[in-house]
Amino acid sequence: MTSLVTSSSLRAENISVWFGERQVLKDVNLVFPANQVTALIGPSGCGKSTFLRTLNRMHELIPSAGLAGAVYLNEQDIYSEAMDAVSVRIKVGMVFQKPNPFPTMSIKENILSGLKLSGRKIKDADELVETSLRRASIWNEVKDRLSDQAISLSGGQQQRLCIARSLAMDPEVLLMDEPCSALDPGSTRRIEETISELAESMSIVIVTHNMQQAQRVSDQTAFFLAEEGMPGGVVEFGSTEQVFNGPIDQRTNDYVNGHFG
Amino acid sequence: MARALANQPWRKANNQRRFEIFIASLIPLPLVAYISISQQLNPILSFAALFLPMQLIAASIVGYHAYGRRGVGDAVLVVVTFFFSAFVLILLLSVLSSVIIQGSRAISWQFISQNNVYVSPTTSLDYGGVGHAVVGTLIVVAITTIAAVPLGLAMAVYLTQSQSKTRNLVRTFTQALSGLPSVVSGLFILSIIESTHMGRSGFTGALALFPLMLPTVARVAEEALKLVPVDLRYAALALGAPNYRAFFQVILPAAKSGLLTALLLGLARVVGETAPLILTMNPSSSTSLNPFSGGMSTLPTFIYNYLASSYETSQARAWGAALVLLILVGFLFGLARFLGKNKSIKSKASK
Repeated sequence: MTSLVTSSSLRAENISVWFGERQVLKDVNLVFPANQVTALIGPSGCGKSTFLRTLNRMHELIPSAGLAGAVYLNEQDIYSEAMDAVSVRIKVGMVFQKPNPFPTMSIKENILSGLKLSGRKIKDADELVETSLRRASIWNEVKDRLSDQAISLSGGQQQRLCIARSLAMDPEVLLMDEPCSALDPGSTRRIEETISELAESMSIVIVTHNMQQAQRVSDQTAFFLAEEGMPGGVVEFGSTEQVFNGPIDQRTNDYVNGHFG
Repeated sequence: MARALANQPWRKANNQRRFEIFIASLIPLPLVAYISISQQLNPILSFAALFLPMQLIAASIVGYHAYGRRGVGDAVLVVVTFFFSAFVLILLLSVLSSVIIQGSRAISWQFISQNNVYVSPTTSLDYGGVGHAVVGTLIVVAITTIAAVPLGLAMAVYLTQSQSKTRNLVRTFTQALSGLPSVVSGLFILSIIESTHMGRSGFTGALALFPLMLPTVARVAEEALKLVPVDLRYAALALGAPNYRAFFQVILPAAKSGLLTALLLGLARVVGETAPLILTMNPSSSTSLNPFSGGMSTLPTFIYNYLASSYETSQARAWGAALVLLILVGFLFGLARFLGKNKSIKSKASK
C-alpha cells in the first residue's frame, strides 16, 4: 500500500551561510519542484552538504553557524517564527553519508524510531515496517530477522535501512548527503533504483561526487563551486541533460568532464 | 589439508624454533632457584634481581637467533610485558589472599548477621559480628549514591550536550574536586556539624562522602557520553526528535554500559572511605536503621577501630570485617553488571 502522497516543492532564496566569521555560501537560489530529483555536484569544500543541511534546519546544530536568506516549503518559510525545527525535520527527511542506524535497537525498532522520537502514535506497526522496508528495497533481505540488531547488517543494507527509517516518517522531501559514497556498486545500484521509485511520491535532493550517478538519477543538477578564498555558490543550475551535455559556463564544462576537481 | 599447509608462503614458528623458545623460557627459573639456594640468598630478592635479567637474556638470544636484531626488541617487549603483568597479578592475589586468610578466622554467618552489642575484647569469636556495620555501610553509601549519581549524570549531560560557555569552568572545577583529599571533605562536614550543632549521624557521614563520589561519577559519565558518536544524535534530530527524546531514547541507551561503569567507580570510590567517616560519624555497636540521629558504624570505621586494639580477637574481627567489605563490593559490582545487561535485543551476529 504505497500511498501516493502529493509531494511538495522546496525553494531556497538567497541562502548565505557563515561559520563564525568565514562565509562559506553566498546567495544560493535553487528550486526543487515536486516529484523531481535534484543532484548537487561540485568539488569538496564548496558547500554542497552545508547547503543541504540548511534545507531541514540541521545546519543550526553547529554552534558557530550563521544563516541569511529563506527556505520555502510549500510557500512557507521554514525559518519563520511559525515553524519550529522539529516539525520541519518531520517533513524533510535526511539520509547521511555514513549509515547511522541506532545500535541499541533492532531493525524493526529502527524503522519505528522516527515516530517514537517525534512523539507520534504508531498505528499499524507491522504494516508500516513492511511498507518502509519495501520502499527502500531491503524487505526481502531482512524480513526473517526483524528483531536482529541493526548493526548486524552490512554497510549497504544499513544505508537502505536508514532510508527506510526516513521513509517511515512519510516525508515530503528527502535529502541525501552522498548516500552511496561508502557503498559497493551493487548496493549503490539498488539505492539508485530506490531513488527513482521514491521520486514518484516526494522530491529528492541528493549530494553526490559521482558524475555518472548524478546523470542516472537526477532530473535537474546544480553545480556548486568555491573559488580560492571565496564563499561557495551555484555556478550553473538546469536540467541534468543540459548541465552535462551543453553547459553554458566553462567551469561547469571542465568539472563534469573531469578536467579539475 | 596437509597440502594446503605445505603450500603456505609463510609459516608459524616451526618445531625447532618452538623448542628453542620452550628451552629459553624454562632454563632461567631452575637456574635462579639453584643460585639462590646454593648462595642462601633471600628468595624473593634473588628472584626479582636475577630472574628478570636472565629471562631477558635468554629471550634475546632466541629472538636474535630467529630474526636478528629486531627479534631482540620483540623478545624484550614480550618478556617485560609478561613480567609486569605477572607482577600486578601477584600483587592483587597477595592482597586478596592475606585478607581471605586472616579474615576467614572470624567469618561465619553469625559474624555477618549479628551486631556487636555485648561484645568485649575478650569475647570469643563465636559471638557478635559486623551486621550493624554492613547495614551502616549500605545505608550511608545508598544515601550518597542517591544524591550523587543523578547529579553526576546531570553534570555529565550538561558537559557533553550543551553548547554553553561555562562548560569549561564547570569541567575544571569538577576535576579539581576529584582531587579533593577525603579527609578534607570530612573536615568540611565536621566544621558544619560543629557550627550548626546538628549532631553526628549516618547522614553527616553520607554528606562527607558526597563530594568524593560526585566528581568521579560526573567525569566517568562524561567520558561515556562523549564516546557516543555525534552521528547518532544527528540521526535522531533529523528524524524530528526534540533534544530530550534524542537524549533519552538514543544517546542514553548507547552509553548505558559506560554510565554503569561510572556508577561502579563512584561506589568503589566511597565504599571503603574511612577518614571522613571517622570525623563525621559516631561509632555504635548496635544496629541502627536511622541515618538521621545516633551513632552508626560502617565497615571501614569498624576495621579502623578494631585493628588498633591489642587484643587478638579484636584484630581477627577487623580482618573479618575487611573480608566482608570485599564480599560486599564484589556483590554490588555483580548486581550492577547483572542489572545492566541488555536483555531486550537478541545480540546474535547473523550472517
